[in-house]
Amino acid sequence: MHIGSGFLSPPVWGTMAAVSGAAMAGSLAVAGRRLDDRKVPLMGVMGAFVFAAQMVNFPVLAGTSGHLGGGFLLGILLGAPLGIIVMASILVVQSLVFQDGGVEALGANIFVMGVVPCVLGAVARRLWMRPRAGLLADVVTFVGGTVAVVAGATVVILLLAWSKALPGSVSLAQALAVMDFIHLFIGLVEGAVSVAVVRFVLATRREAAFGSPSLAAEEAAT
Amino acid sequence: MTTYNRNTLLVGVVCALAISGIVSYFASGHPDGLEKTQEDLGAAEAVHGGLDAPLVAFNEYSLMGLGDGFWGNAAAGIIGSGLVMGILLGVGWLLRRHRPAGSASATP
Repeated sequence: MHIGSGFLSPPVWGTMAAVSGAAMAGSLAVAGRRLDDRKVPLMGVMGAFVFAAQMVNFPVLAGTSGHLGGGFLLGILLGAPLGIIVMASILVVQSLVFQDGGVEALGANIFVMGVVPCVLGAVARRLWMRPRAGLLADVVTFVGGTVAVVAGATVVILLLAWSKALPGSVSLAQALAVMDFIHLFIGLVEGAVSVAVVRFVLATRREAAFGSPSLAAEEAAT
Repeated sequence: MTTYNRNTLLVGVVCALAISGIVSYFASGHPDGLEKTQEDLGAAEAVHGGLDAPLVAFNEYSLMGLGDGFWGNAAAGIIGSGLVMGILLGVGWLLRRHRPAGSASATP
């Protein structure tokens, strides 16, 4: 879902750069104040994992592929601030080293694939921090992962429309219908993978992601 | 860090390297959801001045000199995920170093 170079107009990419820049600054400030030491290795490994997963395009509808976003998953495992930092690092490397996503569109891409899904993931995170996360957490994560992708896709179309990068013959509703329909299917995969990975981390590294139940209660209270 | 922790982290690193270095070679080559949407809407041409990063060592996800084949992709994937991990461990290290004294740090 990386927006390439040349699609966003300067006011649009400038605005998005400012918004994502503010989100990054806020995230770094929060992380600087209360970073659990055990989260650092998890950040590194999850960054490498999400970068890797994004390279694997799976077929969706005819002639189309999709890949994991990973922001929703990061929001659940790390919370919004650290998730945004991880996602921004991935997107910067993709854009500057691998020409994946326009450099001027970096702010927009961080917003769409980082800020939006990480904040939604952080909401679902609350369910996983309970001592016993049950079926509700799985369902919310599956549905939430899908919603996060469709929400991002919707923002992309709005930004393209604002940039006048959609042809005049296409209405906004039509563009949204095409984009969201495809991303609904990509989102279902995102939701399923999110549940599987969170379950795996919960089983093997609960402490690093969610803290002990007492710590979890502490974080939920702040 | 206990051996148990180190082992689970190692599993994560090996998974990431295997996915980026090997599995990604078999990824679908079809346009992704956004590219396909832009093609279908007739909006696939850049309309504003944009900025693409220069091709220095990599041509998209393949290491130059190794070509578009398996090895070029494997090298790009492994270097890319290693780079992301390195950056994040560096950021984490900096954040810990600059943490004000006395603030919460859960070290078991």
